[in-house]
Amino acid sequence: AISREAARRRRRVESDVFGDLSRLLPLQASVRAHLDKPSIIRLTLSFIRMQALLRGENRQTEINWLEEMYLKILEGFLMVLSTTGDMIFLSDNVSKYMGLSQTELMGHNIFEYTHPCDHEEIRHNLRLTAGWKKCRENNKHKDFVMRIKSALTHRGRVGNLKSTTWKVLHCQGRVKLCVASSSVSCLLLTCRPLPLSHTLLSTHTFTSQHGMDMRFTYCDQRVTSLLGYRPEELLGRSIYDLCHTLDTSCLNKNHLNLCLKSQSVSGQYRMLVRSGGYVWVESHSAVIPGVQPSRSRPNPSQPLCILSVTYVLSGVEEPSLQLSLDQTFPRYPR
Amino acid sequence: MSAGGSDGTADRPADQAAEEEEGPSQAGSAMPSVELPRKRKGEVEERQILNFNLEDDLCRSEEEDQQVKMKCFREPHRQIEKRRRDKMNNLIDELSAMIPACQPMARKLDKLTVLRKAVQHLKALKAGASGAFTDTKHKPSILPQDELRHLLLRAADGFLLVVRCDRAKMLFISESVSKILNFSKLELTGQSLFDFIHPKDIHKVKEQLSSSEMLPQQRLVDASTGVQVQADAHVRPSHLATGARRSFFCRMKHSRVTGKHEDKHSLPGVSKKKETYRYCTLHCIGYMRTWPSSQLDPEADCTDKETSSLNCLVTVCRLHPPVSHQPPKDVNIKATEFVTRCAIDGKFTFVDQQATTVIGYLPQEVLGTSCYEYFHQDDLQHLAGKHRQVLRSKEKVETQCYKFKTKHGSYVMLQSQWFSFTNPWTKEVEFIVSSNKVVSGPGNAKDESEAGSSTLAHEEAKQILEIPGLSTGVGMMIYAGSIGTQIANELGDTYRANSSPSSEASSPFGSVQEKCPLTSRSTSSREEEAGSSSHSQSLADSSKEASGSSEAECRGESSQLDLDVPGLSSFSSDEAAMAVIMSLLDSDVNMGQSGDFEDLHWPF
Repeated sequence: AISREAARRRRRVESDVFGDLSRLLPLQASVRAHLDKPSIIRLTLSFIRMQALLRGENRQTEINWLEEMYLKILEGFLMVLSTTGDMIFLSDNVSKYMGLSQTELMGHNIFEYTHPCDHEEIRHNLRLTAGWKKCRENNKHKDFVMRIKSALTHRGRVGNLKSTTWKVLHCQGRVKLCVASSSVSCLLLTCRPLPLSHTLLSTHTFTSQHGMDMRFTYCDQRVTSLLGYRPEELLGRSIYDLCHTLDTSCLNKNHLNLCLKSQSVSGQYRMLVRSGGYVWVESHSAVIPGVQPSRSRPNPSQPLCILSVTYVLSGVEEPSLQLSLDQTFPRYPR
Repeated sequence: MSAGGSDGTADRPADQAAEEEEGPSQAGSAMPSVELPRKRKGEVEERQILNFNLEDDLCRSEEEDQQVKMKCFREPHRQIEKRRRDKMNNLIDELSAMIPACQPMARKLDKLTVLRKAVQHLKALKAGASGAFTDTKHKPSILPQDELRHLLLRAADGFLLVVRCDRAKMLFISESVSKILNFSKLELTGQSLFDFIHPKDIHKVKEQLSSSEMLPQQRLVDASTGVQVQADAHVRPSHLATGARRSFFCRMKHSRVTGKHEDKHSLPGVSKKKETYRYCTLHCIGYMRTWPSSQLDPEADCTDKETSSLNCLVTVCRLHPPVSHQPPKDVNIKATEFVTRCAIDGKFTFVDQQATTVIGYLPQEVLGTSCYEYFHQDDLQHLAGKHRQVLRSKEKVETQCYKFKTKHGSYVMLQSQWFSFTNPWTKEVEFIVSSNKVVSGPGNAKDESEAGSSTLAHEEAKQILEIPGLSTGVGMMIYAGSIGTQIANELGDTYRANSSPSSEASSPFGSVQEKCPLTSRSTSSREEEAGSSSHSQSLADSSKEASGSSEAECRGESSQLDLDVPGLSSFSSDEAAMAVIMSLLDSDVNMGQSGDFEDLHWPF
């Protein structure tokens, strides 16, 4: 009986301390009331780490009304990852994308929420060389696509957590080194879902559809004015034929991403112009079912195709350079 | 929720959290029905996260007793408790690592102490932080707004831009633009966006800014079907309205030198020529928004004031990093491989198209020539040996790395696997298939191969072989090709004699070998001299053409000038020189004979 009393007293003391701790955290009262003990510790850790990370940085006290909207404009959320993959910080709009709130997720490890096949890539990007500020690896801009669990239903509501789906996020960012303690260094990422819908396409973009082997099955007319090929000429040809050979690895990565993750951003690569030379382009692509799926769930055996929106970034460079046979055939004006 | 419960409820489209609580009992798991007080949705979600990761963090509920009951029933309580405790301990450890006060301690601190120290630490941080906590204007969050913004801008490498759609006047730019474009915020605010955009992109940007009637060329993409949606009246309003998204790339001017612009008062775009600026590619993401004009643009002139609202494009412009075109280090570049086929005497009968990228010659240029013409002299012995070997063996023979002469005169390092194909009826070797792989190595430069081979031998040979009256160029040519032919000959002999190949074939040479203490190179020269005579004529003809062309090609090579045999250069000793003379004399004698060399036996 005595020991039970002692235990109870100890637990009460502990709870009190937890309570104190949670009150010190800058949280909304509603959120605070429902935190459990491990969450409190997690949030405390996040808080301390973020403070350590930002210590000594110039902080502009004036916050512009516009800058508050940054995340909204970007349509994404911010994620700060430690070297071990702990999500030290997530901006509060993460709930819009993952269906889970900031306080639920913060402090957890990203590997618990991402697709196992993407772990290797994430780990690769997390490789931060501690302490060596000038290391090339640390200064590189990180850019990758990963699949993360989302508890949102396709209608956008928070659904049953057991039936989570994979959401594809495009993550870009860089390393932030903490001079004081290298263990606090982390990777700052903005994560956005890849939108393909209803974006106004300028005259310098064209859409195309491809089979899963990247052969064109459709291309819009715009390609003629941008690259000089007629859409009919492209059908059945592989995109690898039309690009600069040095960019093959970039295309490869894009293709793989599409097959594995169903969405991809290609980064910059060169497409050959029919009359010679090339242009720099970037493609945003996604895998979509070839036929309109029924409401419940897409039939896995339906043929898939790749939808690509390609942005032309530059003018024609080196117009006299001929890198493929296509370019050697003169084109007569029709 | 237990695993059993989750299996049962996985397919049910439960929308409400309330349903979730009744799940376990409905699924028929053996858990006692738990009296769960109605909690807010957020909290139930927390508990639901248990299902997310059964292996992980099972300790998120408040009441530990209830939690235990809710866990996977199959697991003993013991293990569940243990896992929860471990997790808690890990968290406590992490916490103590982060708190400066806890670090110097030698032994591990207990939980309560760590927590108390954490409280103190937070209090200290709060006291030290400048106004971050006292700022009641914004809702409290783990990270105050300004720090968040700072983080974002770091991560994004970008700046915010608000542009008036009708005049393309830049109404607002964030400070971070100076880091990216090297122009200060002040310089850019109020200027026209088009002054800073690459001329070729102006049209593109104009389009993106257009908030008036949709131009016929504009298209939208319906992501669910991938089909372009025709712009029609129905779509238009949403496109123009607040919230319509924009995403495009453009090139903006980027001033090379910071501080350079400080002494100018005029607009940068006016005075400077295009060439003095570099452009960087930006990815602009944002949307259209309408605001009351007075708020945004105090400088607006009268006409503007009449319109009550302005359409603006609000974007985040992120720097598009330049792409490095080196293949990433962890990508294994497959070594270039190509296949060739040759007759038993080493003359190419088929050359893979890919070979051109390696050796420089087009297939038709090498067909009919002997592979020995391209081998470097250092490798002749070993390759001749392998040649002999493959003709007699049914297995693949692998060569060591050797040098192969390319069209431009340099050498490329190859390694090959040879395999002979025997006609099953005649039981004779018909051809040799060679699968060649490029070996990356230091010795592929032309200079290096020449440097390596510019030994004394070369110089000697150069001197010695200037035999008066004889065109040594042609003479040397003969021996290159004939190595292969001779080896083929040997094989022919073998078939005919139908005896152990090595004894007969080597006997003509064996004696020669014994006679003179020659280097291996000379041995091959002996073979050549022995075998070269009768077919020297035919060879000479074909070699002449080859030599003519290759001589022209190889004019640049210094040490191999006089002896310019593709692949085979000089012999290394006096004896070798003698051999040459001997063979030349022989060839004079035998010239005119028809070239059915298979009938020749060398009665040594």
